[in-house]
Amino acid sequence: MTDLVFGLDTFGDVPVDDSGQPVSHATAIRQVVDEAVLADDLGVDAIALGEHHRPEYSISTPETVLAGIATRTSRIRLGSGVTVLSSDDPVRVFQRFATVDALSNGRAEVILGRGSFTESFPLFGYDLRDYDELFEEKLNLFVKLLDEKPVTWHGTLRAPLENADVYPKTESGRLTTWVGVGGSPQSVVRTAYYGLPLMLAIIGGPPERFAGHIELYRRAAEQFGTVAHPVGMHSPGFIADTDEQARELFWPHYKVMRDRIGALRGWAPIRRAEYDAEIEHGSMYVGSPDTVARKIAQAVGRLGVGRFDLIYTVGDVPASARLHAVELHGSKVIPMVRELLDDLPRDQETA
Amino acid sequence: MTGTGLELGLNSFGEVASDAGRTLSDAETLRLIVDEARLAETVGLDVFSVGEHYREGFNDSATPVLLAAIATATERIRLGTSVTVLSTNDPVRLYQEFATLDAVSHGRAQLVLGRASATESFPLFGYDLADYERLFEEKLDLFMRLQTEDAVTWSGTVRSPLVGQRLHPRMRPGGIPTWIGVGGNPNSVVRAAYYGLPLMLAIIGGRPQRFAGHVELYLRALQQFGHPVQPIGQHSLGLVADTDAEAVETWWRYWQPVVASIAAERGFYRPTRERYEAELDQGALFVGSPETVARKIAKVARDLRLNRFDLKYDILHLPREARTHTIELLGREVAPRVRELLAAERTYA
Repeated sequence: MTDLVFGLDTFGDVPVDDSGQPVSHATAIRQVVDEAVLADDLGVDAIALGEHHRPEYSISTPETVLAGIATRTSRIRLGSGVTVLSSDDPVRVFQRFATVDALSNGRAEVILGRGSFTESFPLFGYDLRDYDELFEEKLNLFVKLLDEKPVTWHGTLRAPLENADVYPKTESGRLTTWVGVGGSPQSVVRTAYYGLPLMLAIIGGPPERFAGHIELYRRAAEQFGTVAHPVGMHSPGFIADTDEQARELFWPHYKVMRDRIGALRGWAPIRRAEYDAEIEHGSMYVGSPDTVARKIAQAVGRLGVGRFDLIYTVGDVPASARLHAVELHGSKVIPMVRELLDDLPRDQETA
Repeated sequence: MTGTGLELGLNSFGEVASDAGRTLSDAETLRLIVDEARLAETVGLDVFSVGEHYREGFNDSATPVLLAAIATATERIRLGTSVTVLSTNDPVRLYQEFATLDAVSHGRAQLVLGRASATESFPLFGYDLADYERLFEEKLDLFMRLQTEDAVTWSGTVRSPLVGQRLHPRMRPGGIPTWIGVGGNPNSVVRAAYYGLPLMLAIIGGRPQRFAGHVELYLRALQQFGHPVQPIGQHSLGLVADTDAEAVETWWRYWQPVVASIAAERGFYRPTRERYEAELDQGALFVGSPETVARKIAKVARDLRLNRFDLKYDILHLPREARTHTIELLGREVAPRVRELLAAERTYA
């Protein structure tokens, strides 16, 4: 199981300081840089930063933060999670990530998605009615750009390109590119069509319900004659020294965030019992290192994924508790998951 | 700060370097630039800026990303652009990128906005060159409002409207230092004064002193618009080596083919040896020994009342040793000598 990849993901949530006051966006961004440096020191394989355009998140341009991380780290892969391609320009996205790739000695990986929030559409002048078409067209252009040769392209939602060459070029000749999917089967099929690796956002309910998506991805890739790469999953969680500490510390911050998003999406406020149930049986990886490691090993084993990313920040969890969670994940949880999976019979491992 | 009110900086356009005759890859060049910026800080220079271009050999297409990597490799040097092509950028995205850079660098971000002298970005990003003026005008208006207002309501013709929009991450209150880069157009000079923004003169050929009229115009316009005096800067090309002869021959070898190709493309002057020597002597090339370059900078700083001088030190395929040596000499020898010369002039005045 040595080729399993473990990552940490964040949207740059604004934490509170030790006195309970929210820090500035600038401080929140520097906190993420420090966490990434610690994760690199501890041997975490990847960090991925999401793009959001809301006041509770400090990161709206992941690549700028990733470049800052690049200079201070040596091994950790630097990704976005996700880059909202629909409301961005594929040419600019390529240029920014190729630059991160150069500055990090080839450690950049783009995770493209449609985003689960919609703020970026009015902000950048796009129509939500074009949600599907925007992603489809722009992914099509982005995949062409990945060949790093002059591109001629025509579409309806971006200016055409005539023999346009885009710089800088990467050293490997190909930028690592994933597609992040929240649950839409069409998106899974599209990812297989382009032969790109699939990252599943599994943010609620038992992870096993995504087994069908993974199967669909493999079957579709086979039919398209493309490569089915190891699938990744990303889920939220929080780690503290004991189960009780983790649950109690995380709950009030999680609830505020969950209810804020719920209000936008028509969900009822979350009750404590639902929270506890989600930790027991669902997709929340909250607890001591031992508890979280067992839960991750179980999900990874059952789904046969090749990568597990923990969204380690949800809500305004205090900065110091976050840093401790990163430390526990890198120094305890990941080694324990590897050990647990090594004990599994071979047929349950990554296909 | 150099102590005399003249700041010294470096500009890079991300141009590929060579090493023992081998052309570096784009990625190697980008990493070299991070090392060069670190060196610039070590030798005491004030600002490091990168341009924005979209052509082969130029690796500065994602300016804020490159600057963010430099930010965490340095502690003190300020980080800017030379120039950001505002016309074909989105002011909203630009605000977000520079707010992020300012955060990552602990408040060292600044930028120079311009219309660019190269036009590649227009077709690449779907803009019409016919809108050159209007794009810059409207986007500058929006960008300055995003920096100074909390929630912005804006509508125009070059971008979708914004209604009570707040951006994240928040920039520091009042925004970051924002200069206007001009290539010689008096309208651009007046526009910089209208907004009360510092002025960066791009002087890439001919006698710099011919810009004295622009400086007068700028200072007069600032006064008429009721703004306080703002800094004036100059960006020019050059190379510093141990001796004049070495600098002059090295620069000629790499500068001549570049200018020849620009001449063919934009109707620029032809790079004859005669023209080259005139540029060295009285013109806009700052090429020579530390003493020669220091004298030339001190003279132009006085003539144009400069508060800042940026040397663009990279040019296609220039060997990395020559680039490194320019940075070392600029910081360790040219800067103190300029300081000395300007102090002496003040004494005699």
